[in-house]
Amino acid sequence: MGGPASPAAPGSAVAAAVVAILSQLCGAAFLYAILKADGGWEVTGLLTLLGLGFFLLERYPAMGDFVTASLARVPLVTMATAAIVVLGFPFLVGSNTYILHLLIVAQLYAVLALALNFQLGSANIPNFATGASYGIGAYVSALLALNFGMSFWLTLPIAALAATLFGFIIGVPSMRTRDTYLALVTIAFGVVVQQLLNNFEWTGGPNGLVGIPAPSLFGHSFASPLEVFGWKLPSQANFYYLSAALVVVAIVTAQRLHRSRIGLAWNALRADEIAAKAQGINVAWYKVLAFAVDAFLAAFAGTIYAFYISYISPDNFTFLVSVTIMTMVIVGGMDNIFGVIVGAFLLTILPEKLRAFSDYRLLFFGVVVIGFLMIRPQGLFPQRLRQYGAHR
Amino acid sequence: MSVLLKVDNVTMRFGGLVALNDVTFAIEKGSVLAVIGPNGAGKSTLFNVVTGVYKPSSGRVIFDGVDITGKPPYEVAQRGIGRTFQSSRLFSDLSVLDNVIIGMHTRTKTGVLDALFRPGKSGREMAACVEKAEALLQFGSGDLFEQRYRPAGTLAQADRRRLEIARALASQPKLILLDEPSVGMDDAETDALVADIKRLRSEHPELSVILIEHDMRVVEAFPEHVMCIDYGSRIAEGSFETVRADSRVQEAYLGKAAAHA
Amino acid sequence: MAELLIQQSVNWITLGSIYALFAIGFSLIFGVLNVIHFSHGDVAMTAPFIALAAAQALSIAFGATAPAWLVLAVIVAVLAVGVIGAVLDKVVIRRFRDAPAMMALVATVALGIVIRELIRHLYPQGSNPHAFPRLVSGVAFEIAGVPVSWLALLVVAVTTLLVALLFVFLRLTPLGLRIRAASEDRIVARMMGIRDGRVFRATFFIASAIGAIAGLLFASYAGVTRFDFGVMAGLLGFSAAVIGGLGSMPGAIVGGLIIAGIEVLAQTFVPDGASYRLVFVFILVIVVLIFRPAGLLGRTAMEKV
Repeated sequence: MGGPASPAAPGSAVAAAVVAILSQLCGAAFLYAILKADGGWEVTGLLTLLGLGFFLLERYPAMGDFVTASLARVPLVTMATAAIVVLGFPFLVGSNTYILHLLIVAQLYAVLALALNFQLGSANIPNFATGASYGIGAYVSALLALNFGMSFWLTLPIAALAATLFGFIIGVPSMRTRDTYLALVTIAFGVVVQQLLNNFEWTGGPNGLVGIPAPSLFGHSFASPLEVFGWKLPSQANFYYLSAALVVVAIVTAQRLHRSRIGLAWNALRADEIAAKAQGINVAWYKVLAFAVDAFLAAFAGTIYAFYISYISPDNFTFLVSVTIMTMVIVGGMDNIFGVIVGAFLLTILPEKLRAFSDYRLLFFGVVVIGFLMIRPQGLFPQRLRQYGAHR
Repeated sequence: MSVLLKVDNVTMRFGGLVALNDVTFAIEKGSVLAVIGPNGAGKSTLFNVVTGVYKPSSGRVIFDGVDITGKPPYEVAQRGIGRTFQSSRLFSDLSVLDNVIIGMHTRTKTGVLDALFRPGKSGREMAACVEKAEALLQFGSGDLFEQRYRPAGTLAQADRRRLEIARALASQPKLILLDEPSVGMDDAETDALVADIKRLRSEHPELSVILIEHDMRVVEAFPEHVMCIDYGSRIAEGSFETVRADSRVQEAYLGKAAAHA
Repeated sequence: MAELLIQQSVNWITLGSIYALFAIGFSLIFGVLNVIHFSHGDVAMTAPFIALAAAQALSIAFGATAPAWLVLAVIVAVLAVGVIGAVLDKVVIRRFRDAPAMMALVATVALGIVIRELIRHLYPQGSNPHAFPRLVSGVAFEIAGVPVSWLALLVVAVTTLLVALLFVFLRLTPLGLRIRAASEDRIVARMMGIRDGRVFRATFFIASAIGAIAGLLFASYAGVTRFDFGVMAGLLGFSAAVIGGLGSMPGAIVGGLIIAGIEVLAQTFVPDGASYRLVFVFILVIVVLIFRPAGLLGRTAMEKV
């Protein structure tokens, strides 16, 4: 018996390629439809469709395995399709800057959720301070740009290093505290950072920082429209592509770590700390490492956010932001890269679309989250076992 | 033969409870020591002190010429002591194969930067691990290899025991501590386990083994060096014959049997 | 200087008592269910709104002015919040007691959002702050020329009384003993025939009712309440419970006093301390947990290997 080793893959590479292309196009079409949807009925209809989709996946897991196997069978086709979809999306959206804005925010949240996934998903370490790392990234880069006229590209690594340092600092207590107690330590760090940003004079206090200049690349300012082959895209498209690039970086980082001994060590300490130590794993170091990697990636997202919105305030980096990121990881599926990204998109776009319910959307959001955790605690896409060699 | 592990006057107290009382023993390279004694005698505590899970209240543990008393467990593992747990602590949501690969943690080197920027190197290391892990899974009795893509938590009891041993061996230890490896095995499986250990010793003559066992048939198979612990103290040590004949040992076991009757 | 010291000491004891009451709820629930009920603060802060609404309703129905009905309204609020707590346990929280700790945390944070939004929508002009009357007014006595209000005295008296009652209840009544047994070891308690459901219901009722009293005292002390006060009440109460050691009643009281102490100290002695008070409070939380990972009076559970 081979166990779940070789999921049902389609017979020929051509069939796999067709499945790979069609499934991704379907996903993109759905995303487009829900972004375009306006008014309660359309949104309700699309959400019902989504629910039906997940129900079918739950009922017939072979379907999901089939698609996954197809995607894995023809990696080049999969990646080419993904690249075309991502690159082409702004052309489809055209001049609708609101949709582009939503996509940028969703992508930044996807990066944040992937960052948190190293801890929460891979190692099951609570961290309610991802919002703070995000904020540190945003503030460090904004301050450098405003006070020293540094370019976006230079502030990016500096902000990431600063946040990583913060990650190491919040990671240290994780050597001694666990679970609920550790959760409180991270909450405390998050509140301290947010309160300090809110009170220091040089961070602009509650008013935050205004007038962060748009970055430019090879003389092209990100504040001006993007022209490609005669197509004119709104200036948001610059940031759309920038954040898409960051998502790619985050995915590659996540995949490489997941497939290395580091990902395995995190999984080991998640399952059983004492057994992990007996295998020679320096559990304390790996925990701190998870905090550092999380902060590092979150800072990138923060920097892009600051330069995109050009105005940041402490309200952007509250405890609730950290909880939202956490919810994205749990809803999407812990330790499942694809799931986490879906979770981030869903939870970014959903509240916006619930505008149809105007004032009630936060209430609705809370109810949906609770309901989801009760009905499907393992997330939309639960973690999968690693496959090696011929089994990959 | 030279001494590999030396436990010197180790005492372990938990509050008022004395779990180990001035225990001293040594084991040579390439030999097997069987530790017997009634439940709660302190046998597992001994393992936990040797592997650094507990820091002894007094006494010293010398491994391979180095004082490892109170060193953190991961460091002890890095120095070459592998172990299994009485309650078999597997990484139950990971595959059988991943469990063994994690056992190779001390033998692999990839750091964060390597993993991120030299994926080829990291990938080759992982591929080598997979190969070695598959070989280890094929080594012993049972059909772990065929089950290598199953979550470890779904294995049958005997396979869980075997997997824990395979995981401990993956680090190529100099000393392996087996905490009641035959628990949950039937007679045939126990015999296979004994055969596995014997074959392991013949293939790795340098490897030392300490066994905690209740099943006397297993102990009988490794009769050269047996130690009996009761109430945290070493009450007898020597060959299986001498230990079995020792009056205090009989008392410890009979007393327990009488209490059960 | 002496006057300032006395004044701030009175503030400290009053605020500390309120925080301790919030913390007791967290500790009690965690002890029994092993779940962090993060929306406990929000549940508790529904009490002032329920009391205001009840007083309003009573005065409309029976004439007289609202304050006259305040006492009755307060009792209604405390009981109602107790029931709300028990219902939330049954509907939501109990389902997470065997789930990973993070699930329960996130779920109860979401529950907090729901509760706050419900207050905002159901109470007329729920987004605005609402004045809350002083439950008792006037100055009780003076210490070295510093007036001590009846309200401060009431807060301390109520807290002392509640703690004493809780102590007696947990040690001497059958239900209290069952709650303690369940918090010592859930599985053993179940084997001994203690029906979880009733124990949970009772625990939630008591914890929420105590929280309601804390919420009412807090609103009365501040003179105002708002739909989102529960966030801070929850964070500070939770911190107090964790600093003291989750599951420990004396710990909750010590934790409450410590948190309030830091707050008052920061406001009194640090320039601009009022705006930095949360920074000080949470730095203290971090420091305590680094050196005492299970809180000041908590037991460190030794894992069996």
